[in-house]
Amino acid sequence: MSKKLLLQHIDVPGINTYEVYRKQGGYKAVEKALKEMTADQILEEVKTSGLRGRGGAGFPTGMKWSFLAKPEGVARYLVCNADESEPGTFKDRYLMEKIPHLLIEGMIASSFALGANTAYIYIRGEYFYVHRILENAIKEAYANGWLGKNILGTGYDLDLYMQIGAGAYICGEETALLESLEGKRGNPRIKPPFPAVAGLWGRPTVVNNVETIAAVVPIINEGGANYANIGVGKSTGTKLISASGHINKPGVYEIELGLPVEEFIYSDQYCGGIRNGKELKAVVAGGSSVPILPKELILKTAAGEPRLMSYESLGDGGFQTGTMLGSGGFIVMDEDTSIVKNLYTFSRFYHHESCGQCSPCREGTGWMEKILKKIISGNGTLSDVDLLWDIQSKIEGKTICPLGEAAAWPVAAAIRHFRKEFEEYVTNPQNIVDVKHYYRVNNLAAV
Amino acid sequence: MSQVAYINNRPYEYQNGETILNFVRRIKEKRNAIPTLCDAPNLEPFGSCRVCSVEVALAQDGPTRTVASCHTPVGTGQYIYTDSQSVQKLRKNIIELVLTDHPMDCLTCEVNGNCELQDVAAQVGIRKVRYPAGKNHLDRKKDLSHPYMTSDLSKCINCYRCVRACDEVQGQFVLNMSGRGFDNHIIKSSNQTFFESDCVSCGACAQACPTSAISDVFQSKSVHGDKKIQTTCTYCGVGCNLEVSVSNGEILSIQAPYDAEVNQGHTCLKGRYAFKFYNHPDRLKSPLIKKNGEFVPVSWEEAYSFIVDKLTSIKQNFGADAIAGISSARTPNEENYLMQKFIRVVIGTNNIDCCARVCHSPTALGMQRAFGTGAATNSIEDLDYTDCILVIGANPTDAHPVTGAKMKQKFMKGVTSIVIDPRRTELASYATYFLQLRPGTNVALLNMMLYYIITENLVNQSFVDTRTEGYLDFKNQILALDMDELSKITGVSKDLVKKASVAYGSAKAAMEFHGLGVTEHSQGTFAIQLIADLILLTGNVGRKGVGMNPLRGQNNVQGAADMGAQPHQGAGYLDVTNPEINQRYNAFYGAKVPSKIGYKIPEMFDAAIAGDLKALWIIGEDVVQTDPNTQKVIKALTNLDLLIVSEIFMTETSKYATVILPSSSFLEKEGTFTNGERRIQKVNKIVEPIEGTMPDGVQIIEVMNRMGYAQPAYSADTMLKEISQIVPFFAGVTWDRLGTMGLQWPVKPDGEDTKLLHTETFTRGKGSFANFDFVESHEIETYGKDYPYIITTNRELEHYNCGTMTRRTGNVAILTEDVLLINPADAAKELINDGDFVCVESPRGKVDIKAKITDEVLPGILSSTFHFPEIMLNNITSDEHCSEAKCPEYKVVSCKIRKSKGKYKKEMEAKFAS
Repeated sequence: MSKKLLLQHIDVPGINTYEVYRKQGGYKAVEKALKEMTADQILEEVKTSGLRGRGGAGFPTGMKWSFLAKPEGVARYLVCNADESEPGTFKDRYLMEKIPHLLIEGMIASSFALGANTAYIYIRGEYFYVHRILENAIKEAYANGWLGKNILGTGYDLDLYMQIGAGAYICGEETALLESLEGKRGNPRIKPPFPAVAGLWGRPTVVNNVETIAAVVPIINEGGANYANIGVGKSTGTKLISASGHINKPGVYEIELGLPVEEFIYSDQYCGGIRNGKELKAVVAGGSSVPILPKELILKTAAGEPRLMSYESLGDGGFQTGTMLGSGGFIVMDEDTSIVKNLYTFSRFYHHESCGQCSPCREGTGWMEKILKKIISGNGTLSDVDLLWDIQSKIEGKTICPLGEAAAWPVAAAIRHFRKEFEEYVTNPQNIVDVKHYYRVNNLAAV
Repeated sequence: MSQVAYINNRPYEYQNGETILNFVRRIKEKRNAIPTLCDAPNLEPFGSCRVCSVEVALAQDGPTRTVASCHTPVGTGQYIYTDSQSVQKLRKNIIELVLTDHPMDCLTCEVNGNCELQDVAAQVGIRKVRYPAGKNHLDRKKDLSHPYMTSDLSKCINCYRCVRACDEVQGQFVLNMSGRGFDNHIIKSSNQTFFESDCVSCGACAQACPTSAISDVFQSKSVHGDKKIQTTCTYCGVGCNLEVSVSNGEILSIQAPYDAEVNQGHTCLKGRYAFKFYNHPDRLKSPLIKKNGEFVPVSWEEAYSFIVDKLTSIKQNFGADAIAGISSARTPNEENYLMQKFIRVVIGTNNIDCCARVCHSPTALGMQRAFGTGAATNSIEDLDYTDCILVIGANPTDAHPVTGAKMKQKFMKGVTSIVIDPRRTELASYATYFLQLRPGTNVALLNMMLYYIITENLVNQSFVDTRTEGYLDFKNQILALDMDELSKITGVSKDLVKKASVAYGSAKAAMEFHGLGVTEHSQGTFAIQLIADLILLTGNVGRKGVGMNPLRGQNNVQGAADMGAQPHQGAGYLDVTNPEINQRYNAFYGAKVPSKIGYKIPEMFDAAIAGDLKALWIIGEDVVQTDPNTQKVIKALTNLDLLIVSEIFMTETSKYATVILPSSSFLEKEGTFTNGERRIQKVNKIVEPIEGTMPDGVQIIEVMNRMGYAQPAYSADTMLKEISQIVPFFAGVTWDRLGTMGLQWPVKPDGEDTKLLHTETFTRGKGSFANFDFVESHEIETYGKDYPYIITTNRELEHYNCGTMTRRTGNVAILTEDVLLINPADAAKELINDGDFVCVESPRGKVDIKAKITDEVLPGILSSTFHFPEIMLNNITSDEHCSEAKCPEYKVVSCKIRKSKGKYKKEMEAKFAS
């Protein structure tokens, strides 16, 4: 049984209430942080822990915190990015829904470490019922003196607000999130300046993912060094994985980083193998935007090493043969899946969610969807596949925010690893079965 | 310095903080190396089109990253590749994608030949679009609802330039992007038409739009015109630099040049769009002489002979002092100079004044007393260097729109701001501190501020010690004041005044602006001197980002006074009573100048009524509509033997003329205007004078010559040569030196101009402190009981003064009438509904105006404008004047109100129905 740091009490009845959470040792990290530690000591522990951003980019959290500008007399902010919208990712919802005080505890300790007296949780609009749970938990925290003025008599003040998003994927991008939080249209900002220098209301701001902030709690409780002992290499600690797709046991799993992918897919402790005894075809390992990998590349690296659930191992081989851990949205596809139709679904999503600010993404996502639609409806040509490749290459890295990349990578990877399937679609359109999404396509052998 | 980066492998030195785009563009032969779409000279980098992408490596031919050059800073040792194959392909693909949703009707498009999309498509070499026809937005409807602004969003390329221009330049936030991704589309306000939206028609969006998606009815971006001529705007004292497009001797449109120092590519709806008055059918096109009560067209010869005969006989029979002239702050310096020269030298009297009398005469006088020079101490560009902006009695977003927009940007970006005004103006609603005082109590409020600056220890003692005089006396008198009493008088709490004073006093650099809300009072000059005290007390003068900056009302009101169109000072502010100076004038003019101070405008009217003044020549001013107490002005004009009016249109004043001379507008002549920051700028002749008209300067010279004074023929060049010899601060001004940006006076003989005044010493030596106690306006003292309301006059964005020009342009479709602002509480008390006609009665008369219920004004306070002759608001304004400068008290008028009824109501309704 692997060690759980975030979800260890998840099954305790009533853990979403303050009383039960407190009884299980909740808010000890805040007590320790505010009473026994200085802000710098917490920062050091977070650095020592090797914690990396759990939102997808995997940037070292301690380093991000240390970039925060601290000019005299200027307010600083901590903003929690709870706008979890990446298809295939639902771990933050699970955490907030089941154990909301863990996030609040992490927010308080992190805000203290950053010297912020105001913090925000920007939560995805579609998480209707989670809003209520979180609001209620915040109310409880205020009522019990964990938020507000003079917390624990230490003189530290913190106000925590929840802001509900309005249903835009782009607002998960940290600068678009800040724009939205300020009440504006959620368009990403150009950088520099980075939020650490000029973020919310133009003030220094740290934006962290829900899971990242929650992980600060065990880091404070058990020490950064102990946290760093878990995991493998620079992938320390535990990670929440949202497992979905054609598996027997979809759900959220807390794993120690370094777990072999094969074990994760097939072990009964986790996904429990492929549904209906089918064969594995491909996996999108870190949320819809990371490159898809075919079976043989997801289980083993190109060098033949077992692929591990870690930042480094999943990234091994670059995008030629590897992928990314991303947000941990682990989408498993069985042998019957049409990669092309699946890609169409993804592309439709990115087209719908492009904010429209940068021309390559605004226009390009639309054309990728159109061309994919043309292909799956049997009207495609071989040159369409090349055009698709061309468009994605003109979006990737050529936009203000990473949404461009998010839209381009799945297209690139699908063509890279499953080009034959695309060619089959355009050369033998009569074989395409007219079904909506990634389901069975006759006579299309797995690659 | 090793600040070197490489462009296509060649090293160049870059400047700190420069973006790659600016770096590359600064190098001459690479000016056009990088195409752009979303970039615009007056907007912040945005990075949305990505057409400006370049490849950057950290070593020669090393691995590259593609970045948008417009917002990526240059770094040392960067290798920048502006046209690698990869970026060429990228650009091509972007344009291809954009073209999939763009109509291909270039040949009939209004911006054909001046379309940035077209240029970039040509530059990147688009020959075909690889994408099949798909869903598009080509069926978007045009919006032609507005008198000026148009949109055809089927041509929109989503570059956000219009949105950013609306936000960053004007600060109006009308335009926005709605929808997401492919559905992105520009909306106006809450998805309304231009006309329904909150658009202020500044045209910044139309100028910013790279295609014709947003444009204007004049198709300003079309290349149809055969030449473009730069000139200076004729409306307000901002003095925007304009670029006028002309075809076949007709003006097509006006744009604002991006490189203009004054307005940086921005201007307002008056400057940009309100030019169609110039060839309006109403233009006066022949001299007219009133014969048996009717105006009869006559030849110029006959008109001049008539004038010369009349003036000569009046001078013989009643003396030179029976003749007066009112010069115009709307006409160039050269013509103002000629007018005062004519009155002084040819007629032989100092009875010369101009409309500075009715606006900023207290500023000129008060600042001369305190500092020695009656002009703005700083420049508008100093807004970029200030930490605190104090605006007193001014509504710049309406009256000085370009400066107002700049201030609004600063206010919104959090620069500490203080607004003192009886009305909650647009700026007031953005201000850190808004002190809404009762009209007429500036002196009381300023005394409170001075008190708190002293008691809160915010006096800049070293400045006071070294550069001022009279401080001790001043301080003792201020400290003796009773703050509770003053707070009661002004209606502003002590606490708020104290906070504002502390904000002003503790700012590193605080900049003051004021308008007619300070000057047009019985204590106008005193209020100016108290503002000067505030500046002296805190040492806010003589450096960047500080100073005392009157927002001069009319385009050339500064120049008119500079040129000597005032009764006590000749050209260059030289004292007319000083014999030494007069000898200089005598020698220069070759004739004897009078040494008795002449009539100020209000005194001219009194003298006319008394029968002492027999002849008056008014150039370009409608005193009947705009001077206070209309009936008295009419009485004065009808009592004259000779009233000469030089005008472009038949005005309320010219109706009473004996002779009307049809003048040419600013678009038809050359000269110079001096703006509110002392900047002398060229006015170029854009088109030939409308047939039958003559420039005022030519008219004056014709009369001078006929009366025996040999004045050479008019040209701006020769006139400036003459002026520079007698006006000390014009010493180095020549027509050629003015260039396109102009020069700020004083201009030294070598041509060096001056942005900052009083840097080392004041013009008068030391800055002079002065105390003045608040005195209630005579108007309120006398009539306050029977006429319990106070009406204070103001201006609207769309119209200029009496509206002679703006009412003959599309502006009149935007703002159709004067309205009465009234607080909801008062409206309820008087049973007045929004839109009802209200009869406003003062001891002088009454007018009927449509009510607009608003909490912009406090209970008991009303406000209105006098742009429309249908209303003639000045029928009710008073005869009170500033005790020192004789500036009328437009801002405090006692009145009573009731709902209009019966006959008046019907008459007014009929008037507006037609």
